[in-house]
Amino acid sequence: MSVTAPSAAELNVPVATRVISFLQLPPSGPIQTAIIYAPGNADSVAEAASIERAIGAGKGRIRVKRIAVGALGTLAGTQVAFVTGGLRGEQDEIAQAATRNHIVTITSDQSCVASARCVVAIATSPRVQITVNRAAARAVDAKFGSAFLMLVKEI
Amino acid sequence: MMRHSRMLAAIAAMALPVVPAAAQTVDYSALEAVMGEPVTTSVTGRPQRGSEVPASTVIITAEQIARSPAHDVPGLLKGYAGIDVNRWTAGQSDVAVRGGVQSYNARLLVLVDGRQVYLDHYGMTDWNLLGVPIEDIQQIELVRGPASALFGFNAASGVVNIITKKPGDAPAATLVAALGDHDRARVAGSVMVPLAAGIGIKLSAQHLREDERRVPDALLTPGRLPDVTASQVASELFAHVGRTTATVGGGYASNGQMEYLPSQILSNQFYRSGNVHASVARDTAWGGLTVSGFVNWLDATYGKDALRDRPNAALEIDNRIVSLKAAGLYRFGDNNVVRLGSEYRNNRIVGNAQFADTISYDVASVDAMLDLHFGDRVALTTAARFDRLWLGASGPVAQPAFNDPASFDRAFSRVSLNAALLVQVGANGRVRLNGGRGYQLPSLTTFGVRIPLVTATPLPFPVFVAGSPLLDPVGTWSGELGYAHDLGSTRLEATGFYTRTSDAIASPGDGLQDLLEFHLVPAPVAVARFQVAGDYQTYGVELSASGRHAALTWRTNYTWTHTDEQVGSLAAPIALAFSPRATTPQHKANVALGYDAGGRWYLAALARYTSPTRQFAFTAMQQLALFRVEDAVGIDARIGYRFTTRLAGYVAAENLTLASGVAGSPIPADRRLRAGLRLSI
Repeated sequence: MSVTAPSAAELNVPVATRVISFLQLPPSGPIQTAIIYAPGNADSVAEAASIERAIGAGKGRIRVKRIAVGALGTLAGTQVAFVTGGLRGEQDEIAQAATRNHIVTITSDQSCVASARCVVAIATSPRVQITVNRAAARAVDAKFGSAFLMLVKEI
Repeated sequence: MMRHSRMLAAIAAMALPVVPAAAQTVDYSALEAVMGEPVTTSVTGRPQRGSEVPASTVIITAEQIARSPAHDVPGLLKGYAGIDVNRWTAGQSDVAVRGGVQSYNARLLVLVDGRQVYLDHYGMTDWNLLGVPIEDIQQIELVRGPASALFGFNAASGVVNIITKKPGDAPAATLVAALGDHDRARVAGSVMVPLAAGIGIKLSAQHLREDERRVPDALLTPGRLPDVTASQVASELFAHVGRTTATVGGGYASNGQMEYLPSQILSNQFYRSGNVHASVARDTAWGGLTVSGFVNWLDATYGKDALRDRPNAALEIDNRIVSLKAAGLYRFGDNNVVRLGSEYRNNRIVGNAQFADTISYDVASVDAMLDLHFGDRVALTTAARFDRLWLGASGPVAQPAFNDPASFDRAFSRVSLNAALLVQVGANGRVRLNGGRGYQLPSLTTFGVRIPLVTATPLPFPVFVAGSPLLDPVGTWSGELGYAHDLGSTRLEATGFYTRTSDAIASPGDGLQDLLEFHLVPAPVAVARFQVAGDYQTYGVELSASGRHAALTWRTNYTWTHTDEQVGSLAAPIALAFSPRATTPQHKANVALGYDAGGRWYLAALARYTSPTRQFAFTAMQQLALFRVEDAVGIDARIGYRFTTRLAGYVAAENLTLASGVAGSPIPADRRLRAGLRLSI
């Protein structure tokens, strides 16, 4: 077991996990979570591994599986997706798959949220900043509690 | 070590089940965990990060409370800039913000989960009657400066909101037992149990006793010095269904202790309080609605054992407060919020020494807050509240009646204001310019008490100490300019402040001949009234720095406070025990250190310096005088040891240096040691 703090470019998994709890209708039982990554991108693979290690260290309800960006058709049954960096060319496909399957997408890639293709972006340096895209949230039928929304940046 | 600590934090976060935090309208614990810093609603009514609030604010987290050497809320607050804590006796403490030190401080509003625990009968807070074990506190929020635009009367110098822990989705229990010198004994416990999906209950109780401090022979004392005793039991039921959260609760608390009254006479008091409260909050797509109400009851006995030859002579006051509130938050634009609220309050006292059987008032209020954000760098917050108060008296009028009953039939209105401008400077700096107008309401006792005096020399006419129905609220203007800068894990803050308090009210003290008014009703009667003592202004600077380095946390601050006053003479005989300039220390400094590597041991210590003051007290010869309280360096410390993940022990000490002036009281401070065990399940 080895868990280290994520680098600024990687998804902060503890924060991402907490974000799920602020959904108005949070998933019940085990939460099937995809890690969407690009097998040919070393940074994306490294981030996916980092997320797996972070999740694997605990005994929570988050159950993760890697899904390659070329296999988005297997996302059915997934409730949340952690989107690694290095997928800018595939963000349209990811957004479409998330919309079809009502999947809340969470990423450290601000551009994915800025372009309304991901729902939540998490930045942790120099401090935690969470950005929620209204249009992307609406597209996947995700609603957050108002107290949470008053603390984040909604765009 | 830091890596180890972060690893533990990450594991802890991952091990947590995903509970529906959204169902609790403001889940402080969950919001703190996700935002990486405490979250508060005490400044504007909307949830805000502690680093972004438009006011000078202190937030003390549950983690900090658990490691602190302090045994109560005032002890936790005293280590922060701009705050004076006077421990007049072993049980009685007063917290003052930015000057104006006075026993029975009426200018700081204190709430538990938004419900007032400030006692309206006399305008004060009994910190031993909060009804909350310290282990049950999620966080303590203190806002410096007037907060009346949000909270109404009595948040004139600030507000303290104590947020308690809420049940999660798993049962939890905590039991604490501690013993100390001065015959201190305390036991406290709480149980939180989920009853069904979305429904949970919390029960808490505690009992405390300890000896009073030794009172110098030079001071006038009651016929008997009682122990400090405090007990409480409380329960709350929580339920959330979809987007709606409901809370119903109640509690009972009692406290007996010796206190300095506002006249600075030492007196034995016994309090019994009860409350029932309920709230319903509805989260909506556009914001939220909250409706809440409470009833507080207080049964207070003043002056028991005051006279050796009449041990049962006492002033009895029963107070009941009924409050109903509604508020709505509406989000618009990128990050803008408007808040609209209203409140109705009925407040009454029934007692054996009043102008009439019942003295009461009703207050109707409306308030509004607008929080606007211009891009990511500029925020403007404005708030206003309108309060209309109707005073009244009913029931048999005590004779001789030296007030016209019609004088109680009056009404007045006040408008409270707050405004703040926040500007982000660079990546890590924030400038804050804010201010406000707040009011301290004359207490019900101040309006209508009527106490016959027993004079040392028999007089041909009776003498009364009495309130006045003609008194007006005490207004406070405040302005401040602050700058905060983050350097990695280090935070630096500097604030300059100015406050102006007009027509402050004081209790008659010594030298009553200068205060007496005479009435023929039809026989002659002399009356010394609670009255306007004068104005005062405070200004100063607060400098703070805090940070964390690996397992070491540190916090240091310095406050310079200058007080100007326009009050009566302080030459003997002193008619009014009121001199903020004499009673407020000019210099204060704190250094707090904590070490916790997540292993078995942890350490925490607080060193505090206060410059000398003079405090009022009656001498054994029954003359009101100012006693010098020496400057002091007090050191508090706590060492904890975790036997298992569930069982921990600690040893704590307050005033290790045995500095007499640490308490800020004419009664010298002593050293208090205690050791305890905490079992968490």
